[in-house]
Amino acid sequence: MMREEHGNVAPALISKGEDVGEIRVDIPYQLITILETIYSWVPKGKIAVITRRCDEKALAELTKRNYIDEKRIIKIGLACSKEQIAKCRCSDPVPSKVDIGEPNEPVPKDDLSERLAKLSPEERLKFWVKQFRKCNKCFACTHNCPVCFCDDCVLEERTFVPEQSIPPGLSFHMIRSYHMIDKCIECGECERSCPAEIPLLTLRKMLAKDMKEVYGYVPGDPKAVSPLNTTLEGETLEDECDEC
Amino acid sequence: MSVKHVLTTCPYCGTGCNFFLQVADGRLVGVVPCKTDEISLGRLCIKGYNAHAFVQHPDRLKHPMIREGGQLKQVTWEQAMDRIVKEVTRIREKFGPDSIAVLASAKCTNEENYLIQKLARAALGTNNVDHCARLCHASTVSGLLYSFGSGAMTNTIPEFDNAECILITGSNTLEAHPMIGARMLRALDKGAKIIVVDPRETPLSRISHLSLHQRPGTDISWINGMIKIIIDEGLVNEEFVKQRTTAFDELKEVVKDYTAEKVEATTGIPREKLVEAARLYAKTEKAMIAYAMGITQHSNGTNLVKAMANLAMVTGHIGKESTGLNPLRGQCNVQGACDAGGLPNLFPGYQRVDDPESKAKFEKAWGVQLPGNPGLTLTCAMKEAMAGKLKAMIIFGENVMISDPDLGHLEEAIEELEFLAVVDIFPTETAQKAHVVLPAGCYAEKDGTFTSTDRAIRLLRKAVDPPGEARADWVIACDLGKRLGSPGFDFSSPAEVMAEMASLTPQYAGIDFGRIDKQVLRWPCPTKEHQGTRILHTQKFTKGLGVFAPVEHAPPMEEPSEEYPFILTTGRNLFQYHTGTMTRRSPKLEREAPEPYVEINGSDAKRLGINDGERVAVSSKRGSITLKARVTDRIILGSIFIPFHYAEAAANRLTNAALDPISNIPELKVCAAKVAKA
Repeated sequence: MMREEHGNVAPALISKGEDVGEIRVDIPYQLITILETIYSWVPKGKIAVITRRCDEKALAELTKRNYIDEKRIIKIGLACSKEQIAKCRCSDPVPSKVDIGEPNEPVPKDDLSERLAKLSPEERLKFWVKQFRKCNKCFACTHNCPVCFCDDCVLEERTFVPEQSIPPGLSFHMIRSYHMIDKCIECGECERSCPAEIPLLTLRKMLAKDMKEVYGYVPGDPKAVSPLNTTLEGETLEDECDEC
Repeated sequence: MSVKHVLTTCPYCGTGCNFFLQVADGRLVGVVPCKTDEISLGRLCIKGYNAHAFVQHPDRLKHPMIREGGQLKQVTWEQAMDRIVKEVTRIREKFGPDSIAVLASAKCTNEENYLIQKLARAALGTNNVDHCARLCHASTVSGLLYSFGSGAMTNTIPEFDNAECILITGSNTLEAHPMIGARMLRALDKGAKIIVVDPRETPLSRISHLSLHQRPGTDISWINGMIKIIIDEGLVNEEFVKQRTTAFDELKEVVKDYTAEKVEATTGIPREKLVEAARLYAKTEKAMIAYAMGITQHSNGTNLVKAMANLAMVTGHIGKESTGLNPLRGQCNVQGACDAGGLPNLFPGYQRVDDPESKAKFEKAWGVQLPGNPGLTLTCAMKEAMAGKLKAMIIFGENVMISDPDLGHLEEAIEELEFLAVVDIFPTETAQKAHVVLPAGCYAEKDGTFTSTDRAIRLLRKAVDPPGEARADWVIACDLGKRLGSPGFDFSSPAEVMAEMASLTPQYAGIDFGRIDKQVLRWPCPTKEHQGTRILHTQKFTKGLGVFAPVEHAPPMEEPSEEYPFILTTGRNLFQYHTGTMTRRSPKLEREAPEPYVEINGSDAKRLGINDGERVAVSSKRGSITLKARVTDRIILGSIFIPFHYAEAAANRLTNAALDPISNIPELKVCAAKVAKA
C-alpha cells in the first residue's frame, strides 16, 4: 500500500497488527514491481496488495508464469480516478472487485496513437527517432515495469545493445517493445518514470493493437496462453523459457 | 521478517534526488523512486537506480587498521584513535598546529563537515581545512562572491522546465547531472532554444538548437565576444545595468577589442554562430545559464566565472524566475561542505576567518581561541607537504590519489608526510598510503543532511547499520575532538549538530530537522518561520550592486607544442562517478563503462594510424598512461578527452597542477599531450 511519510507518499509493507498510518491511494506507485522485489523476503503467509485493474493483470502475468503464488495474494481492488484514467489513456480501468473508490468510464482511444497511425512509416519513424534521441539509458522503463522479470536482461547484452552508448540506438527500445509484447498490461509505469518523457505507453499501445489483431491475444488474462509460448501447432510449451 | 522503504537522498551528483531504499531484513535490496519528490519527480538516472549496489559490498572497510611493517593490520578503535591522537599531538607540539591539515568531504553530511572544520579549527588550532570543492567550484565561490556576493546557483532546478533559452557551457549535463538534463529536455520539448558551448559533442548538444565548439582554454574570448555583440547590437538591458550594477564602462572598454574575427581565430567558433547565440540569449526573456567544470577548472577559473557573471548581468537575466547563472555542483554535498565551513579562509556561512568580528563570534560559541590566518588550500597543502613543511593530514572521505592533478608529484607529497590518517568506506588508493585507516558509515547508514546544488537542504535517513565496526564520520569526528581535549564535541545526534551549525550560520538559521523532514527549504533561510529562498538577488545583489569585472582572455598555462601537440581535456561519463570507488563496485554501472578510454578525432587518429579500440599511450610532461582509443567525431580536431574515473589509467597522471592564483583551482581541463600506438 501507499501512505503519507515525511510529507511524501511512500510504499509500505505493514505486518499484521501494525499501525497503517495515513493511507494514500492518489499516487500510482507500481506496487506489483515492489512486491516482486520483496516477495522472496516474505517467505510465508498472505500478502494483501492494493490492486488497480492493471495491477491485477500484471499479477495474472506473474502468477501464470509461477513467479508469484496466487494463493498467497489478497487483492484489495482500487478503482482509478477519472484524472488517472485520462493520464493513462486507460481502456480497461475497473478491477474485478472494487474495494476502494468508484468505478469510472474508460478512455476509448489514445490520441497520439491515432495521430501516429495516420503518418507514413517514414514520418512515424522520424517521430520515434526524435523521441529516442532523448533517452539517457536510465533503465527506468525496465526497472519499474511489473512484467519485466527476466533473470538476465537482453538490454544488458552487448550483442544487442552496445554498452555506454547514449542515447542507445533504436534497437534498445524496439527490442524492449517486442520483448514485452505478450506481457505488457499497459499500466504506463514506463512512461511515468521516463525522465525524458518519451511516450512509451503509446508505443506499447500501438504494438498491443497488432498483437490483438494478428494473434487475438491480449496480455493480462490469467488463463490465456501467450502465442509466443505455444508450439507451431498452437499447443502450450511445457517448459517455459524463464527469460522471455 | 521486516521490509521497509526508507526515504533518503542520492549520494551521487548534486541534484539532490530523493528515493526510497528498500530494506529487507537488514539487506539493501533495491531503490524505488519517490513519486512526490519535487526535485526528482519520481524519476532517477542509472546511478540513482543503482545507489544501493555498493553499500553492502564485501570490500567495505569494517575495522580500524594501523600500518605495521608496511602492512595495514586490524586493530581496535581504541588503538587506532590513540595512535592518531598521539601522532597528531606530537607533530603539533614539534612543528605547530599549521603543520597539520584536515580534509573535509563533499560526500559527508553538513553536520559532519561542520564537525570536521571545528575539529581542525577548535581542536587542532589550524585553519588548514579544505576539500575537493577546491578541484571543482573553488573558482565559482571566489568569482561569484566578487560579482554578486554569493557563490551559489542563483536559481533552482525546477525552473529549467520553464526556461525559453538555456545556455550550457562546460557541462555535460545529461551525463553528469542527468535529472537536471531531463529538465532541460522538458524545456526543449516545450520549444526552448538550447545552446551548448563545449569542445565535445555531448548527448545534449546533439539535440540542441545551437552547438558551438570552442578550443579548450579560450572561453573568456567567446564570452567577451558575445558581450561585445550584445553591446554593438543594442541588446544590453540598460535599466538593469544602470540600477543594479557597477563598473559597466570598464567592461565595455575591455570587450571592445573582442572583434568577431579575433574571437573566431582564438576559439574556432564561426562568427555567425556566435552572433546567433548572443542574439538568442540576450533577446529571450527567460534565459538561464548552466555551467560546470569546463568553466571552473582553469588557471584563470575565477576570471572565467566573472566573465559568465558579466554575461548574465549585461542582459539582466538574473534575479527573476527561470533566469540566472547556475553553477552545477558535482557531488551530493559539495555545496554543503562549502556552506559548513570546509574551506581554509571561511567559517560556516562564508564568514571570513580573518575578520575579527567573525573570529570573536566563533571563539565565544566554541569556547576556545581560534587562529586568525587563513589556512592552506588542498592544492597548496600538497605543495607544502612536498616541501616538507606540512607533516600530517587527516583525510575524511576523499580519494586524492585519483582526483587530484599531477598524481606523480602528489604521490611523492603524500609519501613525504610523517603521518596520514584516512577515514573512508572502501580501501581507496589514498587509504593504501595511510598510517591509520578508519572505517566509515556511508550515506545509507546515517542521518544527516546534504545541500544540493540549488541550495536545498535534504535529509538522509538511516536505512541500515554500517558494516562490521564502521562508524559514521560524525561519530568519529566527535570522538577525535573529545580525545584531543577540546570542548564542544558532545553531540548525541546529527540533529543536535545542525542546531549548533544553524545558530552560527546565518543562511541556515531557520533550518532544523523537524522542518526539512516534510518540506524542501533552500538557503538563505534566516528564521524558523522563513520559507527559504528560491531565487537569489531579486531586489539587489547579496553584496548590493553587481560588479562587472573587466577580464581578459589568457592562454592556458600549457599550450600544445611540437612534442605534445594535443590539448587534453578531462571529465566524466554517465555510468561512473568520480574516482569510481562506489560505481565500479556497482555491477550494472561497471558493465556499461568498464574500462578507461581516450576519445580522439577521426582525422587525428587516421593521421597517427590509430584504429578504434586500439591501445594507445597518452603522455604529458608529467606522466604516461595506456588505454583504449575511442575514435570519434564527437571531439574537435587537435583535442583529446579522457574520463578521470579509472585508477588503472588515471587521467590525473597527466593533468597540470597549475593553479588559478585567486581560488587555487588546478587547470584540470587543459594540458598538452601526445598520443602514440602502445
